[in-house]
Amino acid sequence: MEREKNMFSGGRKYSNKDITVYWKPDACVHASYCYRELIEVFDPGSRPWVDLNGAATDRIIEVVNMCPTEALTWKWNDEAKNENISIDQTNHINFRRPELVGQKESAVADNPVTVKIMIDGPVVIKGNFRFKYSNNDKEMKDGIISLCRCGHSNHQPFCDGTHRKIGFEDI
Amino acid sequence: MENNNDKKDGVLIEVIDDGPLKITGNFILRDLKRDLADTPEEVYICRCGRSSNMPFCDDSHKK
Repeated sequence: MEREKNMFSGGRKYSNKDITVYWKPDACVHASYCYRELIEVFDPGSRPWVDLNGAATDRIIEVVNMCPTEALTWKWNDEAKNENISIDQTNHINFRRPELVGQKESAVADNPVTVKIMIDGPVVIKGNFRFKYSNNDKEMKDGIISLCRCGHSNHQPFCDGTHRKIGFEDI
Repeated sequence: MENNNDKKDGVLIEVIDDGPLKITGNFILRDLKRDLADTPEEVYICRCGRSSNMPFCDDSHKK
């Protein structure tokens, strides 16, 4: 019974008194920001792996917004607060998944492209966009790309994780 | 009234050879380290790792 309550189409959801966090495993690219930043809440070694009582709500929202995909999204339990979400709340479900708050159209924008500069890491771009590099010219539909910012990837222009080996810090 | 045709043209992500990443169009730029959120129409993101104006290009790659 409890298990069914925690399901939604495509994943699971978790709540505390303030917010609900949606977990959609198929969308995860294992950027690992969630558990590196907040193991008290996102612990892959525990079941359930998300415990929204492990940290303050503000901090949980901050870390969910770091997720470069929509594997983790969130909303306020108070539906009135889900309208007019500011643009820095990039993983609020209004950005991509308004159906989860029962809205037909996003309150923020219509599937906006998000460009995320990850901390000491790549730039991650998500959405519908045209992507030109070398002699390639591609239309990306609901695409996601992760591009090198440290200059040391061996798979340019894409990130291959080298930034961590060289200790890249963009100051 | 200006029309919105330009806005509907979408987002172009362009990797400039031996240069920065050029992004134009309607997009949300979020910098998690500097806690920046903006909707610029055009940006050049550093790809060499040496800019003094991160995350933006400052032409350090030419030095």
